[in-house]
Amino acid sequence: MIDPLLYFWEILKASLLSTGGGNIPILHDTLMARGWVTDRQFAEALAIGQISPGPTGLWVICLGYLVDGIRGSLLSLLGITLPPVLVLVVHRVYRSIGHLPATAGFVRGLGLAVAGVFLVVLVNLMISTGVSAATLLIMFGAVGLGLIRRLPVIVIILLAAGAGIALFS
Amino acid sequence: MTSTTPLRELLWAWFSIGFQSFGGGTATLTMIRRKAVEEHHWLTAQEFTNYWGICQIAPGINLVGITILIGWKVAAARGAILALLGLLLPSVTITIALTAGYTAIRDLPIVQAASRGIIPATCGLGLLLVWRMASPLVELSRSESSASLALSMLTLAGCALLVGVLHAPVIAVLWGAGAVVALAAWARANVAKVQP
Repeated sequence: MIDPLLYFWEILKASLLSTGGGNIPILHDTLMARGWVTDRQFAEALAIGQISPGPTGLWVICLGYLVDGIRGSLLSLLGITLPPVLVLVVHRVYRSIGHLPATAGFVRGLGLAVAGVFLVVLVNLMISTGVSAATLLIMFGAVGLGLIRRLPVIVIILLAAGAGIALFS
Repeated sequence: MTSTTPLRELLWAWFSIGFQSFGGGTATLTMIRRKAVEEHHWLTAQEFTNYWGICQIAPGINLVGITILIGWKVAAARGAILALLGLLLPSVTITIALTAGYTAIRDLPIVQAASRGIIPATCGLGLLLVWRMASPLVELSRSESSASLALSMLTLAGCALLVGVLHAPVIAVLWGAGAVVALAAWARANVAKVQP
């Protein structure tokens, strides 16, 4: 059973201390460590977040629902909507720090780190679902289809669902 | 702005973005840009690019950040709240409904089989995301110097190893990497100042 306050705090903290999709590896780390989320739930939430409208970052709401129903999804909503309000503060100080080489360096370092750590999350998700010729084929197929700019993500997800039904049922 | 028309206009514009922006972040950003810059002229293309840059260093979802910034520019706090409401009400409702629908059928064998196909595909799309995040940063480093390129590659691989192999806490790794590269950029700028 999850502790709602603590769950909210983890979401808030992960989103406050990162930018963009940077909360993905943080939440994978913290929520898995607490045993509140399984790899399957994590991957499912990311998938639903990809096909639902609005920012992809709303995947955290899916995760909240899978973990704790409506209450979890609302706690997630609050946890991911509050941190971006700080953009108003960043906007104010941007004029004095935006041009500094150190600011650009920090943003670059953070971006590279998120990419590297996200890679670890993806490897873990693949291992948890089972690495086989079939799953690798689907993964690289998605990479190939994803390179086609005009192709909507939902088409890729539906094709993958079809492949899953054909291969695994 | 004190007239009520822009406020209603604001809410409706963001509502339609929230409803129509299927297809992830890029689709949503394109739609926000079209509505805010081209249709309603709330800000110039230059300001939009500037705002997007600011959102890259602000906490949380960048798209929510730019929504707040644009809303604030149009009508201060009321504008920001309405813009946020317009963007999130439809998209969050649909997201919750989709997840609830999925939960109801989640344990059916056919859905489990489908999800065994969807998970690797999500990983593949994630790989593309990693590539799109990292490649502009690596390219930028390459254009600076080979030392800068080496630092970037080291940061990327080092963070992956720290978390993947040594199980270091992710937040510490992310901020540590930011600090190291910031320090390097600061040092480089100072050296450039001394030897013009």
